[in-house]
Amino acid sequence: MVPAPGRPAPGALSALIIRCLHGLLTAWAAVTVTFFGLRVGAGDPLAGILAQGLASPQQAEALRHSLGLDRPLPAQYLSFLTGLLRGDLGRSLYTGLPVLRVIGGQLPSTLALGASGLLVAVVGGLALGTLAAWRKRSLWGRSAASAAALATALPVSFTGIVAILAFSTLLSGRAASSLYALRHLALPALVLGIASAGAIGRVVEAGLSQSLASPYVAAARARGVPSGLRLLWHALRPALPPAVSLIALEAAYLFSGTVVTETVFSRPGLGRLLIGAILQGDYPVAQGVVALAALFYTLSHILADLVSLGLDPRLRGKG
Amino acid sequence: MRAREAAALIWLLALLSIAILAPLLAPADPRQPIGPALTPPGPGARLGTDSLGRDVWSRMLYGARISLTAAMGAALLATSLGVAAGLLAVSAGGALDALVVFAANAALAVPGLLLALLLVAGLGPGLPAVILAVGLSGAPGFARVARTLFLQVRESGFVDAASALGASLPWVATRHLLPNASPNLLALAATHYAWSFIGTTTLTFLGLAGDPSLPEWGAMLNAGRADLLSAPWLSLLPGLAICLTILAIYTLTEWLARLSTPRSLTLPRSL
Repeated sequence: MVPAPGRPAPGALSALIIRCLHGLLTAWAAVTVTFFGLRVGAGDPLAGILAQGLASPQQAEALRHSLGLDRPLPAQYLSFLTGLLRGDLGRSLYTGLPVLRVIGGQLPSTLALGASGLLVAVVGGLALGTLAAWRKRSLWGRSAASAAALATALPVSFTGIVAILAFSTLLSGRAASSLYALRHLALPALVLGIASAGAIGRVVEAGLSQSLASPYVAAARARGVPSGLRLLWHALRPALPPAVSLIALEAAYLFSGTVVTETVFSRPGLGRLLIGAILQGDYPVAQGVVALAALFYTLSHILADLVSLGLDPRLRGKG
Repeated sequence: MRAREAAALIWLLALLSIAILAPLLAPADPRQPIGPALTPPGPGARLGTDSLGRDVWSRMLYGARISLTAAMGAALLATSLGVAAGLLAVSAGGALDALVVFAANAALAVPGLLLALLLVAGLGPGLPAVILAVGLSGAPGFARVARTLFLQVRESGFVDAASALGASLPWVATRHLLPNASPNLLALAATHYAWSFIGTTTLTFLGLAGDPSLPEWGAMLNAGRADLLSAPWLSLLPGLAICLTILAIYTLTEWLARLSTPRSLTLPRSL
């Protein structure tokens, strides 16, 4: 049966609801894994504090009681879940500040890095993929393809250090301080974005190669459509849906990337907060950062699903 | 085998022999100072000295041993857990299968690196914790793919035939499912080794190995950042070693995958 034009396909709404329910389940799983993952090896979350001599055994006992650590694990899990729903992630063991406020203080820096990294990833990925598919046989196309492959393989820790070295050598002494913004946002964003740009570029290349070889592009050529328009309108458009859903997934992976990027560039942010919390044994902070990151990851998965549902009508009936 | 693949194989074999022979090849103790700090590479110390005056060449050699072994430990843990869970799920089926799939999907709701970081937070920093964390966080993904591979084997007729002849579940699992899936599992494990290598060196780079004097490539890359501009070789050398190793593993696994793919699937691109 042919669905009436202008109306959503019959399966679309139920597919949407199923994806959202699935997303909720995934969010719950992520939060649960966070809670139990942190407790998988730990005998005592306060061991770090005790080892550093920051609290006497009596103080630790009192702290343990006030944190609820002397209660059975299921009870702790339940209060963690209800706290999360109320937006209460507990307090830092070291500063006593609410974890949500500690995270809120570091969030803008990480968001700025992540957003500009994503911009680099999308622009770079589209450029690399288009170049690699359109000029397949030329030197430009081949080097774009190898650049995309290399970008996915190289770890951010190494590319970051090479970028810092190159930047300092090229601009040695000359106005280095006036380029503060460049050093502290553009360079980290570039390093972070390039890693994802490679993956996006490969997907764009694969889709574009396929559509460039298709009959409708040949037909457009026969009709005399100029090559630029042919590439951008006829060939690139059908190649985009998989790239767009990959972009949403890469947005989630960018957070893992920011952990390393922030360390390489000694940049404040959630990643450094997390590493610091792990090294100090500040478990409420570590738990809060990972729980929020996992929720963000789930959210972008749902977003990716919804975007691909919107872009590709063939998926709608399947649920 | 093309030149690139040969180069990758040579690099990995060289690393393997260095890892085994590190105590014989290293001219100095990797943890003890041999002279002034931050000597550039030269006749005294082949690759210079680090900020504490330790021989970088010896540390690189021992680094091959520690980095490769740590990644191997993590990969073995993930592979054995993943294969065991996949085999259990497919041969038992039913509720157990659903449980394994559910647990794997739940664990995969947290991105791999974050899960590993979380486990280190629970275990407390240190190299054993890093290995355990990377291994455990890699297991769910491996289990899911291993389960699919076992399912493919189970769908072929001979498993039904064996069951019909009265073969027990363990017999089917160890005599039919495991051997027939093993070529694909091996290729999967090779790819997973690259993942484990990236994971362990990333965690040690983040300073989670605990001991900052550990001669391990990720930890060295991190320690070298302090003198990045005055002594760039301190971070460039371990960084380059990590990159080359990752690229070599990728190149070889791609080659292996191409070898095992039927020829009919690799038509020339011009079609």
